Amino acid sequence: MVRTASKNELLPGTLEMLILQTLTRGARHGYGIAQRIQEISDDVLQVEEGSLYPALQRLLVKGWVKAEWGSSENNRRARYYTLTSAGRKQLGFEAENFSRMVQAIARVMENA
Amino acid sequence: MGSVAEWFRKLTFLLKRNQFDRELEEEMRLHLELKMRKNLDSGMSAEEAHYAAQRQLGNFTRMEEESRQSWGFPFLESLLQDIRYGLRGLRKAPGFAVVATLTLALGIGAATCIFSIVNAVLLRPLPYQDASRMVYLWTVTPLFSEFKMGQSIPNLNDIKARSHSFDQITAFNTDTRNLTGEGDPKRVSVAAVSANFISFFAVHPILGRDLQPEDAQRKSGNVVVISYSLWQERFGAKDDVVGRAITLDGQAYTVAGVLPRGFEFPDKTLAWIPLVPTAEQTNDRSRWWYLSLAKLRPGVSLEQAQSEMDSIAAGLSREYPKDAEGIHFPVMTLQQSVIGVESKSPLLVLLAAVGFLLLIACANVSNLMLSRGMERQREIALRAALGASRRRILRQLLMESLLLALIGGLAGVGLAITGISVFRALAPPDFPRMEELRPELLIALFAFAISALAGILCGLAPALSTSRFDLNATMREKNSAVTDSRRAFSLRGTLVVAEIALALILLTGSALMVQGLSRLLKFETGLRIDNLVTTDLVLTKSRYSSEDSQRIFARQLLDSLHARPEFSGAALSNNSVLAGLTSLMSIDASVFGARAEKINLESRSVSAGFFEALGIRLIRGRFFDDHDAKGTPNVVIVNESLARRFFSDQDPIGRIFKLYADDKEQYQIVGVVAETRDIRLGGDRRLQIYFPILQQPGGVVYATVRSALDPAAVASLLKTCVWAVDREQPLGRVRSVADVVHASVAEPRFRSRLVMVFALSGLILSLIGIYGVISYGVTRRTHEMGIRMALGAQPGNVRGLILRDAVRLALIGAGIGAAGSLMLLRLLANQLYGIKANDPATLIGAALLMLIVAVAASYIPARRATKIDPVIALRCE
Repeated sequence: MVRTASKNELLPGTLEMLILQTLTRGARHGYGIAQRIQEISDDVLQVEEGSLYPALQRLLVKGWVKAEWGSSENNRRARYYTLTSAGRKQLGFEAENFSRMVQAIARVMENA
Repeated sequence: MGSVAEWFRKLTFLLKRNQFDRELEEEMRLHLELKMRKNLDSGMSAEEAHYAAQRQLGNFTRMEEESRQSWGFPFLESLLQDIRYGLRGLRKAPGFAVVATLTLALGIGAATCIFSIVNAVLLRPLPYQDASRMVYLWTVTPLFSEFKMGQSIPNLNDIKARSHSFDQITAFNTDTRNLTGEGDPKRVSVAAVSANFISFFAVHPILGRDLQPEDAQRKSGNVVVISYSLWQERFGAKDDVVGRAITLDGQAYTVAGVLPRGFEFPDKTLAWIPLVPTAEQTNDRSRWWYLSLAKLRPGVSLEQAQSEMDSIAAGLSREYPKDAEGIHFPVMTLQQSVIGVESKSPLLVLLAAVGFLLLIACANVSNLMLSRGMERQREIALRAALGASRRRILRQLLMESLLLALIGGLAGVGLAITGISVFRALAPPDFPRMEELRPELLIALFAFAISALAGILCGLAPALSTSRFDLNATMREKNSAVTDSRRAFSLRGTLVVAEIALALILLTGSALMVQGLSRLLKFETGLRIDNLVTTDLVLTKSRYSSEDSQRIFARQLLDSLHARPEFSGAALSNNSVLAGLTSLMSIDASVFGARAEKINLESRSVSAGFFEALGIRLIRGRFFDDHDAKGTPNVVIVNESLARRFFSDQDPIGRIFKLYADDKEQYQIVGVVAETRDIRLGGDRRLQIYFPILQQPGGVVYATVRSALDPAAVASLLKTCVWAVDREQPLGRVRSVADVVHASVAEPRFRSRLVMVFALSGLILSLIGIYGVISYGVTRRTHEMGIRMALGAQPGNVRGLILRDAVRLALIGAGIGAAGSLMLLRLLANQLYGIKANDPATLIGAALLMLIVAVAASYIPARRATKIDPVIALRCE
């Protein structure tokens, strides 16, 4: 049986980069981050929500994001994550790495 | 990068852990709800939407756990894991853990304790500025070649003028004086010092002033500088003490200053007065009365100073043949002089004993660890097969041994602290520098360093030999157990040999010291010492300078003592018995009609009743009585040795002699008594001569009484008697003669006990070690024995084979130990009183004990192994 490319397998380490990227446009809560990734990727990338929160904690520890409590669209208390300047720098670094890798893979796929 | 901030964030997280859990849960619950709402919007039923959301989000608990892990410390956590695992491992092998910990604690504790003592007494410099450069300049003359004496003033002046090795030279003279006025009379040690003495030690008065050169000219009258403790005790630490007058030996002195706390050089001096030599003393080259200290110029070695002093001595010897012929000026460091040669070598012996104990302890622990490592080889191979890295396994093993070492180290430090306080309590009272002894932070660190090192060493050997494995070979070891791993076995063999040798040396040394002690305790003093109490009186010089006044004091005191019904006997002498003091009288043997030869007589002036009170046996003639006083013919009593040596075939009673060729007086021998011997003086039999104290009185009086009362009551009675004669006369320490005797063996007894404790611990440790290692090795060979028996070997033969191996190890160890012991004996020879330092019985006994243990350790498991069915033995793992 031929397997179709599965929707939700992310390359390792990319989830954190994606989270940082979604935060460049302003603060979001956890659910918002997951939704945003899914939407933008046209449902191709479905964040495994179980790994979202541990990833957020890692970013907090690294000091790349910070969290603040605020109220959500429907007046619920929610924790909003924002990018720190260290996080922005890290994002730039990771994005560059990532695009270099994607280009390299693309070159191999086209020419080999 | 940012790792400090990261640590900080992680640490604040630790404080807010509960809040974190609550907030995370709230956050995820919101996520779940939003998810559910979305599912509802897409047309699911409420129940469906709920389950779908939960499914998509996954396991809450796991997520929480993973989230929390991001905040953790992975290195610390794996360390903690290692520690937990290590502790669990130790708990599962309690016998091993307890023996290993105790072994380490004993070794480390003893080493730390003794190291602190040796450090305090021997190594730490004296608490004076430039103490390491301070030296004594002694005089040794051919006349009294066995004594070190001070300098005479003319010689000292010449040394000052001719030497270039010294920065400063100062001289002093010690004395005791009776301090009177305000309260009970008190005897104080006084030093008469040259004007630069106090500045020599870089000490500055806390009140008043230092002594000045003018003070010696008495321009400002008699002045005195007093010690802090005297100021506290006698003058209530009042500031107005400066300028007040105190009375020393009936003479008034004005207090010029108070020295800082702790400075009491030399030896508990409480008052310093200017040194004022008389014209006679200033000019007499043969009054070697002044102790001289000098400070070596920086960069000048002791040897250089000594060779300069040698040439100065040679020069003086040529220039003043009458007073300085053959003179020597030994230079000795202050530290050496304070500690005394007698205390130094026993301490070094103790240090060696402790070093041995520590070595035995380490060998023991290594052995235990090694055996345990071998036992766990398969477990470790299994863990490696399951993916543990070699590094991780090594770390795990190291952690286990470090844990053991640390626990042992902590216990050891506790032991050391206890040991030091026990040492303080038990040490003989005049042990040098005891006041400076305390357990120190540095020493505790030293103990931890030893324990960590021991842990790493003990852990590393087995860890390396265990983890240098080939997985296949180890798992197959069931078959290869026939031949014990050669390398490990030879390592353990070496340890066994070393342990036997070390234990043997320790045991021999201590057994000899203990033997020496028991000889000391059986020492015959020649006295009946029960119920005897003694004290010494140094008569105030201003009142008792004439012989007549001394005689009157002696007679009155004797009467006052005899009047007390509580005393069944009372006696006076000018010299103590059994306290290591004697006065030697140098005369020519020709006065007794023998060949001309210089002889030293131990002389004493004693009162009537002295021999009776002390229980000294009369052999011929009579004791002294009250008529032997001034105005009656001079009489003496001699001891048996003297009588035998000079009057062997004649009756000495009635013999008349002169002490010197030109002596105006003559003396008649009226009695011969048995000898008394003093342990401190080496216990030799000496030629002794006694004079009646009323004919030859002196400025020092020892009063000795026999009484059934307890010593405290006797002390107060004695005081009453003395003060009835002279209210201003202080008493010295009042002690029972038994205490005096006890004190003279206190130091060797104490030393022997310490060594004995070490030896016993060493013996027990090494016996445990030897037994453990050999029996473990034999158990490992059960399989081999099974094969041999299956092939037809007789149990006896197999046991013989096993025994031979153990005996071989034991014999090698014993051989090395014996050689080491002989070397040690040579070293100890001067320590041991009255014993020839080669006592084969001790050595052989100790070696035999080791051999028996080695044989038992191999025989018992071998017998068990050969008793069972070879088939079972073969299957034995």
